[in-house]
Amino acid sequence: MKFLLSILFTVFITGTLYAQSCNITITGHVEDADTKDKLVAATVLIEETGKQIVTDSKADFIFNNLCAGSYSIRITHIGCDTVIKKITLTKDYHFDVVMPHQRGVLGIVTVESQKGIVNTGFKKEITGRILEETKGGTLAEALSKINGVTILQTGSTISKPVIHGLHSNRILTINNGVRQEGQQWGNEHAPEIDPFIADKLTVIKGVDELKYGSDAIGGVILVEPKPLRNKVGYSAEINTAYFTNNKQYVVSAVFEQQLKKLPSFTYRLQGTFKKGANATTANYRLNNTGSEEKNFSATAGWKKSVFNTELFYSHFETEVGIFIGAHIGNLTDLQNAIAAPKPNDVFLGQNTYTIARPKQDVVHDLIKSKTVFFVKEHKFSLLLAGQFNRRKEFDIVRSSTNKTAQLDLNIKTYTQDFSWEHPKKHGFSGTAGLALMQQTNNYSGRYFIPNYVAYTFGGYYIEKWTKHEWDVQAGIRYDNKTINTTRLKFNNDTINYDFNFSTVASSINVGYKINDSWKANANISLASRAPHVNELLSDGIHHGTATYENGDIALKPEQSVHFTSGINYQNKERTFLIDALLYVNSIDNFIYQQPFPDNPVLTIAGAFPLLKYTQTNAILSGIDLSGMVKITSVLELNSKFSYLHARNKKINDWLILMPANRFNNELLYNFKDGKKITKTYLSVEMVNVLQQKKVPSDKNGKQDYKEPPAGYNLINLNASATYTLRKTPITLGLGVRNLFNTAYRDYLNSMRYFADEMGRNISIRLKIII
Amino acid sequence: MKKQIMKMALGIIVASAVITSCKKDDTPVPAPEPNAEEVITTMKLTFIPAGGGTTLTYQFEDADGPGGNAPTQQEIVLAPSKSYAVTVQLLDKTKTPVSDVTVEVAAEAAAHRFYYEPTAGNNITVSGLNNDAAGIPLGITSNWATGAVAIGKIKVTLRHYEGTPPNKALGDPVNSTKSATDIEVEFNTKIQ
Repeated sequence: MKFLLSILFTVFITGTLYAQSCNITITGHVEDADTKDKLVAATVLIEETGKQIVTDSKADFIFNNLCAGSYSIRITHIGCDTVIKKITLTKDYHFDVVMPHQRGVLGIVTVESQKGIVNTGFKKEITGRILEETKGGTLAEALSKINGVTILQTGSTISKPVIHGLHSNRILTINNGVRQEGQQWGNEHAPEIDPFIADKLTVIKGVDELKYGSDAIGGVILVEPKPLRNKVGYSAEINTAYFTNNKQYVVSAVFEQQLKKLPSFTYRLQGTFKKGANATTANYRLNNTGSEEKNFSATAGWKKSVFNTELFYSHFETEVGIFIGAHIGNLTDLQNAIAAPKPNDVFLGQNTYTIARPKQDVVHDLIKSKTVFFVKEHKFSLLLAGQFNRRKEFDIVRSSTNKTAQLDLNIKTYTQDFSWEHPKKHGFSGTAGLALMQQTNNYSGRYFIPNYVAYTFGGYYIEKWTKHEWDVQAGIRYDNKTINTTRLKFNNDTINYDFNFSTVASSINVGYKINDSWKANANISLASRAPHVNELLSDGIHHGTATYENGDIALKPEQSVHFTSGINYQNKERTFLIDALLYVNSIDNFIYQQPFPDNPVLTIAGAFPLLKYTQTNAILSGIDLSGMVKITSVLELNSKFSYLHARNKKINDWLILMPANRFNNELLYNFKDGKKITKTYLSVEMVNVLQQKKVPSDKNGKQDYKEPPAGYNLINLNASATYTLRKTPITLGLGVRNLFNTAYRDYLNSMRYFADEMGRNISIRLKIII
Repeated sequence: MKKQIMKMALGIIVASAVITSCKKDDTPVPAPEPNAEEVITTMKLTFIPAGGGTTLTYQFEDADGPGGNAPTQQEIVLAPSKSYAVTVQLLDKTKTPVSDVTVEVAAEAAAHRFYYEPTAGNNITVSGLNNDAAGIPLGITSNWATGAVAIGKIKVTLRHYEGTPPNKALGDPVNSTKSATDIEVEFNTKIQ
């Protein structure tokens, strides 16, 4: 995805005129040395010609029609030291600039800029236009814009990201530098993060995963806010959106300031309010599918030349209704509901914001302090964080006077991370760290997982080497996890189980820049994930699926060997790009829920099919392809295709609930900038999701209640323009999802048994930057 | 430089303080709270024969709730060619004192309904279900008439209506998608 974005140049000096002897092009990319953020509006000056341009919204720049010869290129950006790069041009040239932060003394440093690939491994991100278009949606919806990322849903309000077929506890989510310790037990547990905090969403695989854990079998998601303001003054941004389908409105605002009297101190305040009513499918409205979100965050930073510290607090609060017709009393009810072509009319048609049972109330608070200090060129950082997560699930209960939650889990997590980065020398840069975690869970109400106390300690070491066309990274990590659990039996006795798991992970990555057009990358990662408490000890009825879920205390850690290899090509005019990624993830002791159709659990409410956490050896392999063609200077085509092949090796069958193969094509028209109106575009997107035919066979009894739904095609529209009113940019965006109001169901939505997906949804977005 | 070393030292002290402060024995696993939620453990059917005789009771019981130990279930044994006044009772025996859930079902009669479905040939006929305030069957009490000696089954189902208003209607079948199952128990029956 990154390369798709990185070529959307808005700065073209002279079109496509090529002089015969002077037709050399210089291209480049500018980023912050510490935060790795793109530096937009950095000034790039060729001293010899006096030609000067400013980096575009992707932090890229391009100079065309240069003659052969020697040049000094001066790159400046507010808050950073000036960088001068001396080059001798004989042919087209590309370089990436890493801008160091000013450390007290104003000075000019001449650095050897990186010639290789800056971001090696699997690293794909969403920023800018694509991120804007997803504003008001869920975090997972935004992430699904990345090729290879799909979403697992419970209705339209609960969604979680799936990377190459893997989700939940196989993916680590890093929220503003802190490993998110929320509740990812089930398919209906969405990540507890306000997407408006993010300025950038990144999915990584490979060596950098090791900084966060040895258990990132599926990958790591980084949710990164903008770095704090670097100059005196204030700024504010207001985002609002309205969605017609479920009458959802969103208001989000950010204010930040650096005080003139105290320039070391910067603060930021941010808040989001979101409320949606019942969602409508193509033909009917689903009762109790509303949602409400109230989020707030505050950041304060103190920055000196060799020392900076940041305090961050965020509060996430959501109330989510679950479609009432999908709450199931027992298996017979489920079969009746599935057999019906549409839900019973009593569950349809209410146009209201009211949320009733079944619903979820989730609150997640995070407090974090990060301190960075330099000793000579060595960088040390200490990250302390506390996370407080409370999840309440309200089932439909027989008694209408019951106001309590049937499931109430209260998880508190404390983490301490200490890391060291050595200075870059002879092409080597590296980092090592220690990570500690303490976690407690308290449950009340219905038993789902036990009370527990868990401790983790771990350490990692990563070294990176860059020289000329090569970029090699390697790292290793060890973690040890202790879990002590206790639960109550019906007669008030307790059952206690204690566990201890050691896991090791390592990764090596090699990147090679074949020439200015071709880049190749290969990575092998070994990761190991200890089973989670729910996989070990869950025991009870799951009302969303009418199953009886059972854990297994004998589970062993999953061991994954993950190979990824990517190649990408771009022509020198950056009008054609193609990127291919091939991956094979072989996971031994893969934990999944195996249906045992012949052993139903008999209860007073009837018999429930048994699902038991089981281990197998699995292999997930696939291909992600994407490409961009700039048909004319204003019109471009973006195409994506992803294919996944997921096998259960032990029983030689397919794995259940894996994303279907899909195509995505987008035609984007960028209008020429006017005097007042800029960044105007119109895009048409076509999404084709094929029917998932690779599902477990029924040779060992029925594995699913219903065949996967048919494939579907959707057309989406997006348009946006920015109008500058007295130096204040006002951006108006318009989006249409499911233009033709197609009735469809998706295999990765648990509502597929009961109801259609959301119908046409028109959205209007307004963004003002002050 | 001195200042930097001081800061680094400070950092290390903070880190080590944190590391040492989290020894395992400091935090015992918190004791779980008893579940205050309703768990229907027992369904009891009381049979009073018309014209006098011994009162019979038969029950389905799952003392530890869903999962764990398997439930116990009695066979319903009735005399031939007799009529019984039957009352159903639902109990939550995980509570002390035992909670009688039937009381609440009766209080919310408009949102509940019992169904009795004898299998063909078991020679049991169920009729006379008591009604809610709107005159639609509730079924806490009913009349069972037996025929000749036979064996078979009978399914007792308690459905509750999730909608607001419940929209309970006379013609609602047991598998109406308007309502959901709270209880579904199949008893073996014997007339001897």
